[in-house]
Amino acid sequence: MSIRILFVTLRRHSLMPSLVLLQVALACAILCNVLFLAWQQLEPILAPSGVDAKGLILVDQLNLPNGAWTSAEVSAGTQALREVPGVRAVSAGLGLPMVPSYLCVMALQGPTGAKVGASCYEGEGLVKTLGIQLVAGRDFLPSEYRDAGVASKGLVTPLIITEALARKLFGDIEAVGKLLGDPGDKSAAHYQVVGVARHLLRNQLGMANHGRADDTVLLADRVGKTASLSYAVRVDPAMRDIALGGVRRAISRQFGALLQAGYLAQVSFYSTRRDAAFKTRRAALWLLLGVTLTVLIVTVIGIMGLTGFWVQRRTRQIGIRRALGARRVDILREFMAENAFIVSIGVTIGMVLAYVGNALLMKQYELPRLPWEWMPAGAVLMLVLGQLAVLSPALRAAAVPPVVATRSV
Amino acid sequence: MFRYNFELAAHGLRRFPRSSVLVVLTVALGLAACMTTLTLLHVLTADPLPGRSQFIYQAWVDTVQGKAFTTSADMALNGVSASSGYQRIKLGDAQALLAAHRATRQVVTADVISDVASGDGKHVLGSQVILATSSDFVPMFGVSLRYGRNWSAAEETTRVPVAMLDTDTAQKLFGTANAVGRRVRLGKTLFQVVGVFSPYAPQPHFYGLDMGAYSSDGWEGIYLPYTAALDAGLGPLTTDRCDASYRAPVGSLPNDPAHCASLGFWVQLNSPAQVAGYRTFLTHYVEQQKQLTGFDQPATAKLTSVAGWLKQQDVVPDSVRLNVWLAGSFLLLCMINVAGLLAARFLRRSGEIGIRRALGAPRRAVFAQHVLEAGGACLAGGVLAMPLTWLGVWTLRQQGSEFSGLVHLDPLMFGALFALALAVGMAVGILPAWRAAAVEPGLQVKGE
Repeated sequence: MSIRILFVTLRRHSLMPSLVLLQVALACAILCNVLFLAWQQLEPILAPSGVDAKGLILVDQLNLPNGAWTSAEVSAGTQALREVPGVRAVSAGLGLPMVPSYLCVMALQGPTGAKVGASCYEGEGLVKTLGIQLVAGRDFLPSEYRDAGVASKGLVTPLIITEALARKLFGDIEAVGKLLGDPGDKSAAHYQVVGVARHLLRNQLGMANHGRADDTVLLADRVGKTASLSYAVRVDPAMRDIALGGVRRAISRQFGALLQAGYLAQVSFYSTRRDAAFKTRRAALWLLLGVTLTVLIVTVIGIMGLTGFWVQRRTRQIGIRRALGARRVDILREFMAENAFIVSIGVTIGMVLAYVGNALLMKQYELPRLPWEWMPAGAVLMLVLGQLAVLSPALRAAAVPPVVATRSV
Repeated sequence: MFRYNFELAAHGLRRFPRSSVLVVLTVALGLAACMTTLTLLHVLTADPLPGRSQFIYQAWVDTVQGKAFTTSADMALNGVSASSGYQRIKLGDAQALLAAHRATRQVVTADVISDVASGDGKHVLGSQVILATSSDFVPMFGVSLRYGRNWSAAEETTRVPVAMLDTDTAQKLFGTANAVGRRVRLGKTLFQVVGVFSPYAPQPHFYGLDMGAYSSDGWEGIYLPYTAALDAGLGPLTTDRCDASYRAPVGSLPNDPAHCASLGFWVQLNSPAQVAGYRTFLTHYVEQQKQLTGFDQPATAKLTSVAGWLKQQDVVPDSVRLNVWLAGSFLLLCMINVAGLLAARFLRRSGEIGIRRALGAPRRAVFAQHVLEAGGACLAGGVLAMPLTWLGVWTLRQQGSEFSGLVHLDPLMFGALFALALAVGMAVGILPAWRAAAVEPGLQVKGE
C-alpha cells in the first residue's frame, strides 16, 4: 500500500525528487574521488615508521660535489659522534628514513615470480641505531659488511627485508634463509634473506602508497667512496636536547672545513624530519577535508530545503492520511523510505559517474584507478547523510495534525 | 517594465531572507572554489614571455656517440625514469650552430653553480645559480638592462671574462645597484661586470626546467659568456647523455659539454618560412654529422616551440588540473542545489503568481521576474565569492609548494569571476523560472 503511494507521488511531482537525485549522484561521485585522493595522501602518514623515533637524530647533506668521502673520513666522523655525551649508537648511512636527499632503489624477484621494487638503506649497525624490530632471523654479522659500491660479482648479498616484503615475495613460506633474484639479471640468485623486520617505512614517500609503504630493504654495506654521506645517531631520550647540540658541534668540527662554502649539513631529530617531509601532504589533506565537508554541507542543505518544501506542499495530503488512520510513525517512515529510495537511485548513478569520472581523469593525468571498494563506501555515506537530512522535515510532516484535512491550506 | 520586474525580484529576495542567504552562500562557495583553482591554473599556464615566446624555438640534434639510456628493472619498479627528456646538445654542435647564424638570433644556455664573491672578497654569496649563455640572450629573451651594456659577440669568442649581474645580486655584493666596472670572483677567475639588468624571472623557467619550473624567488642573478664560464671550470649542473668513450676524471661530475649533451640551444625565428628553413638546415646538419662521425642512432633533429616544449615536459602539475575538475563539479553541485532552493521558493509563491497571471501579466513577465531574482542572488554570490577566493588563494600560498608564492589575483580573474557568476545565475534561474511561469492562473486562484 504505502509503496504504491510513494511511487504515485514521485511520478506526479518529479521536479523535486529529480533535483535531489541529481545532487546526490553528483555529490557521491565527487566524494568517492576526493576521499580516494585524500587516502593517497594519508597512507604514508599513517604507515608505521618501524624505527624507534624517540632519541633518533639524523645528519645529512654532507655532500662533496666534486669528490668522494674516504673510508677514513667516514669512520673518523662516526668516532667523533660516539664521543658526544648522551650518544648510544652511531651509524654512517646512505639512504635513511625521512631523508630523501639520497635514494637507493632495488628490485627483487621471489620464488613465486613476484617482482617488487624497494627502497634500500645502507650502513653498518642500522638495525641497532634505528631501533628496528626484527621478527625473524638475525641482524647482519660484522663479517658480512662490504664496502658500498664495490661490485660483488658471484657473491650472494645478505638482506634484511620487512614482513610486508616477505609476504609479497614468498607468500606464506618462512623467508629467513631463502634466496632472492634480481629481475634485471636472471642468471643467478643474488640475495639471501637473513632477517625480517616488522616494519620499515621507505624514504621514497611518493611510492609509499597502495600497500608499498613497507617495501624497504637493509643492505650490509659499509659507507665510503661516495659524494654523499649521512649519519643516524641514537641518543639517550633523557638527554636529547643536549645531545643534539653536541652532535651539531661534532659535525661542524669534523666536516665544517671539508664542505664547500654554501653547503650546510643538516642535523635534526627524526620527528622534525618527519614533520617537514609530510608538510605538503598535511596541507593537501586539510584542503581535501575542507572540500569534503563543504560538499557534505551543501548536499545536506539541499536535501533539507527540497524535502522541507515538499512536506509543506503535501501538508493537506498528510492531514488526510492521518485522519484516515495513519500513525505519526507511518508518516515519518514514509518520508524516510521515500528519501532512501531517491538517494539509492542517486548513488547508483553516482557510482557510475565516479567510475567514469575517474576513468576519464586517469586517461589524461597520472592517477591510479579508483578501487571499487570506495564506491559502496561513498554510497553508504550518502545514504546515511540523506536519512539525517530528511529527519527534520519528516518529523515536521509527522507532527501535522489530522485536523488539517478539514481546513483549506 | 524591466524596472517593475527588478523591483519584484528584489522584493522576492528580501521576503525569505534565510533561504536567500543560503542561495547566496552556496553560489559563493561554488564560485570561490572554481575561481581559486582557475587562478592557480591561469598563473601556471601563463605565457612565460608574452609577445616573444611564439618566435622562440628550441633546436636539438642528437650526435652523442653511444647507447641510449634504458630504464632498468629496479628503476621501473620504483617509479624512477632514466631519461630526463630534456633536449640538450654538445659543445661542438652548439658552436657550429652559433657560427652558422641561420636564425635571427641564437643562444646557448646552461645553468652552473658557484660561490660568488665581490672582487675585494668582502662579500660572498654561496652556491649561486648562474646562467652561462651567449650574447643574444639579452635581446632575444627581453632582459632589460639597467646599467652598462651587454657583452659583445667578439668578447664571447675571444673568451674575455665578463659578467652581468641583476640589481639584487649587485646590491648584495657591492651595496649598490650600479656595479658596472666592479669585479666578481667565481672560483679562481675574476670577471669584469659590464652590465646590470633588472631581475629576470619568466615563469615557467622554460630554458632551464631542471632547476624547477616555477619559483617565487626568481632565477639566475648572474649571466656569464658560456666560453668564459667553461674556462673558469664552471661545468653545466645537469646533463643528458654522454659519449660512451667519455670517462669523467676521478672525483668530478660527468658533465664536460665537449662529450656530454648539456647545453640548451634556442633560436629566434620570425616567420613560418624561417622556421621551415631552419628545420631543413638542422636536418642537413645532423645528417652531415652522422656521415662524419658515424653515431649509431638515426640522425634526429628537432625544432620545438616554447608552448610545445612546455606541453611536452608536462610543466603544469596534474594535481592543478585535477583540482579544476573537482572544483568545476563542485560548482555544478552548488548550481543544482541552488536551482532546487529557487524552485522551492518560487513554487511556494504559486498563489501569488496565479493572481498576477489572472490579472493579465504575461508568462514572459513572470519568467523575467524570476530569472532576474535568480541572477540577482548569483551576482550577490559573486560579490561574496571575492573575499572567499582571496581566502582560497591565501590557503594555496600556505601550501608550501614551489609555485605557491606565485599565486595572486589579478583584475582579469575578477572580471572572469563576475562573468561566471552571471552565467551561473542565468543557467540556474532558467528552470525554476520556467516552472514558475508555467503556473496556470485559473487553477491557482481556485485552489486558494
